[in-house]
Amino acid sequence: MKKSAIFGIVTIAIAIAIIICTYGSSSSYGTFKDAQANSGELHIIGHVDKQKEMVYDATKDANYFSFYLRDTVGNECKVVYNSTKPEDFDKSDKIVLVGKMTKNGDFHASTILMKCPSKYTNDKIDVTADAKKSSI
Amino acid sequence: MNTAYQGEHLLPGQLGQFFIILAFGSALFSAISYYFATTDHDKLNKKWLWMGRIGYFLNTASVIGIGSCLFYIIYSHLFEYHYAWEHSSRQLPVYYIISSFWEGQEGSFWLWGFWQAVLGNILIWRAKSWEKPVLTVIALSQALIASMLLGVEILGQRIGSSPFILLRVAMTGAPIFSQPNYLTFVQDGNGLNPLLQNYWMVIHPPTLFLGFASMVVPFAYAVAGLWQKRYKEWIQPCISYALFAVMILGTGVIMGSLWAYESLNFGGFWAWDPVENAALIPWLTLIGAVHVMIVYKNTGHSYFTATFLTLISFVLVLYASFLTRSGILGDTSVHAFTDLGMFWHLVIDVAIFAAIAIVLLVVRFKEMPISKKEEETYSREFWMFVGAVFLALSCLQLVVVTSIPVWNAMFKTHIAPPSNPVTLYNVFQAGFAVVVTLLTGVTQFMKYKKTDTTRFFITTGVYVFSAALITAVIVYVTGVYKLHIVFMLVMLGAIYSLLVNGKVLADVFKGKIKLAGSAVAHIGFGLIMVGALIAAGTSKVISQNTSGLDYGADFDKGNNSRENIMLYKHEPYKMGDYTVTYVGDSVAAPNHYFKVEYKKYDTKGNLKEEFILKPNSQYNNKMGLVSSPDTKHYIFHDLYTHISMAPLNVMQAGMPAGHEEDANDDANYNAPVTHDISVGDTIPYRDGYVVLERLNKEAHIQNIPLDSTIVAVGAMLKVVSHGITYETEPIFMINRKNGNVFNFDRKVDDAGLKFRFSKIMPENNKIEILLYDQPESKRPYIVMRAIEFPYINFLWSGTVIMVIGFLLSIFRRNKELKTI
Repeated sequence: MKKSAIFGIVTIAIAIAIIICTYGSSSSYGTFKDAQANSGELHIIGHVDKQKEMVYDATKDANYFSFYLRDTVGNECKVVYNSTKPEDFDKSDKIVLVGKMTKNGDFHASTILMKCPSKYTNDKIDVTADAKKSSI
Repeated sequence: MNTAYQGEHLLPGQLGQFFIILAFGSALFSAISYYFATTDHDKLNKKWLWMGRIGYFLNTASVIGIGSCLFYIIYSHLFEYHYAWEHSSRQLPVYYIISSFWEGQEGSFWLWGFWQAVLGNILIWRAKSWEKPVLTVIALSQALIASMLLGVEILGQRIGSSPFILLRVAMTGAPIFSQPNYLTFVQDGNGLNPLLQNYWMVIHPPTLFLGFASMVVPFAYAVAGLWQKRYKEWIQPCISYALFAVMILGTGVIMGSLWAYESLNFGGFWAWDPVENAALIPWLTLIGAVHVMIVYKNTGHSYFTATFLTLISFVLVLYASFLTRSGILGDTSVHAFTDLGMFWHLVIDVAIFAAIAIVLLVVRFKEMPISKKEEETYSREFWMFVGAVFLALSCLQLVVVTSIPVWNAMFKTHIAPPSNPVTLYNVFQAGFAVVVTLLTGVTQFMKYKKTDTTRFFITTGVYVFSAALITAVIVYVTGVYKLHIVFMLVMLGAIYSLLVNGKVLADVFKGKIKLAGSAVAHIGFGLIMVGALIAAGTSKVISQNTSGLDYGADFDKGNNSRENIMLYKHEPYKMGDYTVTYVGDSVAAPNHYFKVEYKKYDTKGNLKEEFILKPNSQYNNKMGLVSSPDTKHYIFHDLYTHISMAPLNVMQAGMPAGHEEDANDDANYNAPVTHDISVGDTIPYRDGYVVLERLNKEAHIQNIPLDSTIVAVGAMLKVVSHGITYETEPIFMINRKNGNVFNFDRKVDDAGLKFRFSKIMPENNKIEILLYDQPESKRPYIVMRAIEFPYINFLWSGTVIMVIGFLLSIFRRNKELKTI
């Protein structure tokens, strides 16, 4: 067999391995119900329930942040995140959590992804601040 | 309804829009003319050529015109234009006005078009016989970029997004625009994202886009070579341009990571974010292409690989811009742009150039000078070829994983990205890096065509052995051995590459000057690997928090393991080897700097080192609190400090206007404790003590004229809190006529205290002081995170060295070049 043929096969094998590994390591989007059934980490998309309490008190614990999230099918669950409250958390509406369920029924997020660029498209004109100037 | 709007400046926008149309038209005209110039058999007919050139010059002029109009609009704060309103504000200093220029998609497309215009002119000047076909491709690319800016509606479909759209057009329907004088209400723009207010953001985008733009040149040469059947000739002039493109793009990518490291809060220089990957993907394939082009030039092997990689690199540039600009990344990237309605436009852009590449490869495949003979196993060309293929594979892995949202869209699946993408990328890319770094060493010992195997094995053996020894020491000292085995292998590969290329560099000084470029570039690359590996692999969060409530072992297993500490103002905290104290604030609007003092003591308790870091936060109306870190740079490591959170009242207390007396201010304090004291007495309290030094019978209060009816007495207090002394003087005032009493309270914010001088008791020579003590939760504090990055300077210095290597190579290749 020619050397280049062998090398070609090796290359193709690695390429296939990459694709399989990508698929194998990929996570899945789910709901809190799925999280209860699964032990692995998964992605949950949802909206923060701003009516319910959001706990972050640095003076008690700088690495504890909890809030309630409503997932896409409407289930709500308490989410605990062992870090500070993300800076733009209050501004974001839809968020993506990566994490898993704990035994006591809280969802433990290891990552919180907020879709920030909404701040670029959030076309609201802030006129109140400047209304005074126009009257002069 | 026609409203006559007042105060708008419509001319610059109309002029700019005219230039956009002109830029698009002239580029298209130029591409068509160059096409006919190329296919025209009458060699003496220069008409088409000149039309192509004129079209291109006109395009260049219009691109400059667009830029001038847009800059004028932003610089003059013409907020009637959406782009200016969206990306700039009045407070921005000039150099950040430049960065707001390319914050939006339109501005960055302009930047791309500008560089491509410059490169096209250089090629008109220098490409000689290649001008016609090469410029056909570049003018076509230029036309497509201009089309992204058109913002014109054709058949109900808006094509492109213009930077000259008026605010009232962009936001049709907002009630404010029913008033003709709406502009008087829009006094200021949104401003620039605080994270982009960094000097790297002034120079990183131009560099990156020069890199992207210069990728079109190798592509154009490859297309020209296949099209004109000048199969062998295109490679030589192409090498220099390809080297230039990888040099600039590589620099741009590293600048981006330097910016991320200096001003972002994720605590690192590389996060495998899709936006970062998008710039790295074409770099990897083109660097592979450069190597196989050199192989082809020297041996005649690897023709197809060289052509393919050159062509695919530019297609990947376009694919990457589709990824980041179409909004398809959606929830997977924090940094990608949102969709401007150009999804299909971007897809078509990729498709056009992919089609050109595929058609030419297929049609010309049979005629390609592909060598029938196999490479020798012990030849440089074979292993360089293997290296290039591995670079392409590492690129493939990045493409496959980054494109997960694309696969979802195409196959209607719903796969989420890996929950721990960083580890996945790191392990995979490290695996490829092992092979690539080893090959950058091995191939230097080989010769083209045939190598003396015995000698090769002896030298390689010696170098691998020495590299293994050095690696063992480094791995042990830096703690890399705690990581996955693949990272140790990368270290071995990188050290081996450094040794071998160091040897080659030594030969350069003995006179083999031709090898300088490759040796230096590879040394730079080796250093980048070493630096990135140690810094990323052994970076240590030194602000590990051991306090805090215990939420059970379940929580500590997470990825986010208590990396933040809270510091009360003036209260020292022991953090690793350092004692850190939040000592104060300084405000340079809009930035609020937190002064964090670091002190290091030796075992005997003597102060060894002392410095202050000033990480800052900015309160932004749209984004909330936005923080930037501050880093102490040492030669061998960096200490990175970042504010994760600060209570808003601290931020506001720092603001100049925040000191108005608040009627409910007492609510911010615990119930006061009353002390009856005389001069010299001491009041102990939680964090220290207070001494009444003396009474000041001539106390002054601002704005209150003193006359004989008013008596004002000040209590001169010395406050000692955590070893720091403050002076303060609460004042007691009484009106002799009517007996009215006023207390002028004084605060010592840093100590969290407030004093009220409430009563004078002449009978026993005492006064009454009310001491208000702030509860813990109201006291100023910060939450911060500190990370140590060891040996990160290898990464930055390696980049500089690599760029020097590329430059040397470009000079060498240009010298060899005799373009006709």
